[in-house]
Amino acid sequence: MDIRTEVRQWLAQNWDPAMDRAEWSRRVFEAGWAVPSWEPQWWGRGLSDAESRIVATEFAAVGAKGAGQDRSDLMACTLHDLGTDEQKRRLIPPSIRNETRWCLLYSEPGAGSDLAGLRTRADRAGDDWIVNGQKVWTSFAQKADYGLLVARTDWDVPKHQGISFFIFPMRQAGVEIRPIHQITGESEFNEVFITDARVPHANLVGKPGGGWPVLQLALAYERRLMGDLARTSRASRDLKPDADSLIGMARSAGKLGDSHIRQDIARVEAYAAVNRWNTRRAKETIDRAEAATLMAIGKIAMSRILHETARVQTDIVGPESMLAGPDNPVGDAVTFRTLNAYFTSIGGGTDQIQRNIVGERVLGLPREPEPYKDTPFRDLPTG
Amino acid sequence: MSTALSPEQRDLRDAVADLMTRRSPEQEVRRLMAAEPGYDPAVWAELAAMGLLGLTVPDEFGGSAAGASELAVVSEQLGRALLCAPYIATSVLTPYLLLALADTAECAEALPRIAAGELVTTVAFAEPGAARPPELPSTVASQAAGGWLLTGEKTYVLDALCAERFYIAAQSPEGVGIFAADREAAGLAVTPLTTIDQTRKQGQLTLKETPARLIGSPGAGGAALDEALDRAAVALVAEQAGGAMHVTQMAADYARSRYQFGRAIGSFQAVKHMCVDMLLDAQSALSSARHVAAAFDASDPDRFADLALAQAFCSDTFVSTSAANIQVHGGIGFTWEHPAHLYLRRARTDAQIFGDPAWHRERYLRLREEM
Repeated sequence: MDIRTEVRQWLAQNWDPAMDRAEWSRRVFEAGWAVPSWEPQWWGRGLSDAESRIVATEFAAVGAKGAGQDRSDLMACTLHDLGTDEQKRRLIPPSIRNETRWCLLYSEPGAGSDLAGLRTRADRAGDDWIVNGQKVWTSFAQKADYGLLVARTDWDVPKHQGISFFIFPMRQAGVEIRPIHQITGESEFNEVFITDARVPHANLVGKPGGGWPVLQLALAYERRLMGDLARTSRASRDLKPDADSLIGMARSAGKLGDSHIRQDIARVEAYAAVNRWNTRRAKETIDRAEAATLMAIGKIAMSRILHETARVQTDIVGPESMLAGPDNPVGDAVTFRTLNAYFTSIGGGTDQIQRNIVGERVLGLPREPEPYKDTPFRDLPTG
Repeated sequence: MSTALSPEQRDLRDAVADLMTRRSPEQEVRRLMAAEPGYDPAVWAELAAMGLLGLTVPDEFGGSAAGASELAVVSEQLGRALLCAPYIATSVLTPYLLLALADTAECAEALPRIAAGELVTTVAFAEPGAARPPELPSTVASQAAGGWLLTGEKTYVLDALCAERFYIAAQSPEGVGIFAADREAAGLAVTPLTTIDQTRKQGQLTLKETPARLIGSPGAGGAALDEALDRAAVALVAEQAGGAMHVTQMAADYARSRYQFGRAIGSFQAVKHMCVDMLLDAQSALSSARHVAAAFDASDPDRFADLALAQAFCSDTFVSTSAANIQVHGGIGFTWEHPAHLYLRRARTDAQIFGDPAWHRERYLRLREEM
C-alpha cells in the first residue's frame, strides 16, 4: 500500500475533529505520524522526506494537526540529531505530543548579525548552570516551557568556541518576559531577561563550548521550516502584489492617468514577475547549482518587492499616507506595508548579511578578513 | 510548458557556446566591429551549416522549425559573445515577418536562401524620431504602371549595410504594407549611421520612387510587423539576459582576482554587494527570457503582458549590469582596450531597438487595463 493511501485510511478510521486535543496528539504520536521520517526506535516510521511531506499534506487536507513535526519542531529535530539518548527519551515525546512548547533564545541586543558575539553567560554550579543575560526577538516566549538557549560558557577562547547550547526551562523565577512594541504597532516578539536562572547540566546539548555547530544545525532546520511556511502559508500568497491591487488602487485614487505612477506600477510588477519566474526556473531545472543560486537570491528579491510596492502605494495614495487608524484604512494599510517590509529585510538575516552570504557562497567572493579570529572573546573590542 | 532545458536544448546550448568560443572571441569582435561588412561570412556559413539560420523557418522552406525556447537558448549564447552578425534581422525578424504576412511565394523564394546562409536581409520599420514603427509611416507606397514605388526615409535599420534585401514598411492607400526592395534597386540609398555599438551596425535608408514588390496584402503590414517584433523580442531578451549573465561573471571574476589594500576587492562589502545585485538582476533576466520563450511556445494568453515586462526588465538589467561591471573594474574598465564598455554599448542599443523600457512598461499597463 502506498503511503498516501495508508495515511488516508488511518485518518478515515481515527480522525475526529471533536476529539480531545491531547488524546488526538497521543494517537498521532503512537501511530508514528508525528515524525514519520524518523527511525521506528525514535517514534518514526522510517519514511523518506518526500513521503513524510505527503503525510503532512494529507493531515492538512482534513484539518488534523500533529503530523510533520520532523520538520516543524525545531527542538525535537535538534535533539534527534545531536542529543543524548537520555535527552531524546526525556524531552522529545512531550514536545512532539504538544505537551510542552519551545521558543528560541538566540539574538541579543548586542548580538544580531554577529550572533557569535553573544554575551549571555552560563556558569557551572554543581549539577546546574546558572544563566544571566538578555535575549531578544523571541516569539511565543510566554507560552514556552523550554528555550533553545545559546550562552557563553568560556570567555578565554575565540568567540565561536566558547558557546554552549542548552534546553533551558522557561518557567522559573529569574525569567522575565516583556513584549516588544514593534514599529507596526504589533507585538509578535519578546525580550527575555534572565537573572540567576538555572538549567540542569543534563540539558546541555553537545559539549561545553561546542554549542556553535549545534546552533548551525538548529538554524538549518529553521531555514527549512521558513521555506516550507513561505511555500504554503496564505500570508505569503497575500504578499504577492497582484496587478489588480496596484492598478485598482491607482484607479480609485484617480492616478491611473499619471504616467509616472503607471511606469512605477509596471516596474514593481516586473520585480514580482521575475521573482515568480526565478522560482519557476528553480523548481523546473535539474541543475542543482542553478536551483540553489535562485533560492539564495529569493530573500533579497522579496525585500525589494515589498519595499518597492509600499513605495509606489505611497505615491498613489499621496497625502492619505500621513493618516492612520480605522478611519483612514487606505493610508493605514500603506503605512503598515511600508513598515512591515522591514520584517523581511531585517528579520532572519538582514539584506546586507544576505548579500554577504550570496556573494561568498554563490559568486565565490572572499570573506572579509577576520582580524579577531584567534582572539579570546574577553579581549574583543566592544565599541 | 517548461523552462527547464531538455537534453537536446542543452546539447544545442553547448554546441553554440563552443562555436562562440572558437569563432567570436574578443579579438574577432573587435576586428569585425572596426570594418565593413561587420560580420564574417565564414562564420555565417558555419551558423547555416549548424541549422541556426533556419531555426525560425518552417520545414517546407528549408528550416528546422524550432520553437521560441530553442531560439532563446541560441540567443543567450550569441548575446554573451557579442556575436557580430545580422542574426536578429535576417534569421529572426525576417522569417517571422514573412510568415505573418503569409506570402507563400516570397517565403518559398527567400526563406530557404536565408536558412542556407545565402541571403542577408533586414526589416526597415522605424522612421526618424522613434525606434518603434510609426502608426502612419511617412514613407509612402504608390502604385505605378509597373508596380509599387516607395518614397521616404527609414532609419535605425539593423544591418542595413550588409543586407541584400530590405523589407520596408510603407503607407499604401489601403494601409501599412510591407514591400521588398533589393539593394541595387533604383533610387535606394543606404547611409551608415554612426552608432555607439559597432557590433550591431545600423543604417539609414533613403527611397526615391524605388520600385518594390508588395509582400502579402497591402493593409496587412502593421499587424504583421507587430507580431514579428514580438516574436523576435524573445530572441532579443535572451541576448540581453546572456549579456547580463556574462558581465556579472566578468565582475565576480575580477573582484576575486584584483587585489588592493592587500586583499581581493571582492572581499569588501561595497564591491561584493554590487556583484550580488548584478547577480540578482541577471538571473532574473535569464528567468524572464526562458519564461517568455516557453509562454510563446505554449501560446499562453498572458504572453504579451509577460513579454512587455520582460522587455523592460531585461533592457534595464543589461544596461545596469554592464554599467556596474565597468565600476567594479575601476580604472581598467575605463579603457578602450578592456571589453567592459563593449557590453554597455550593446546594452544601450538593445534597450532601444525594439522600443525603450518606458514604452514596454506603458504597453504592459494598457494590456492589464484591458483585462
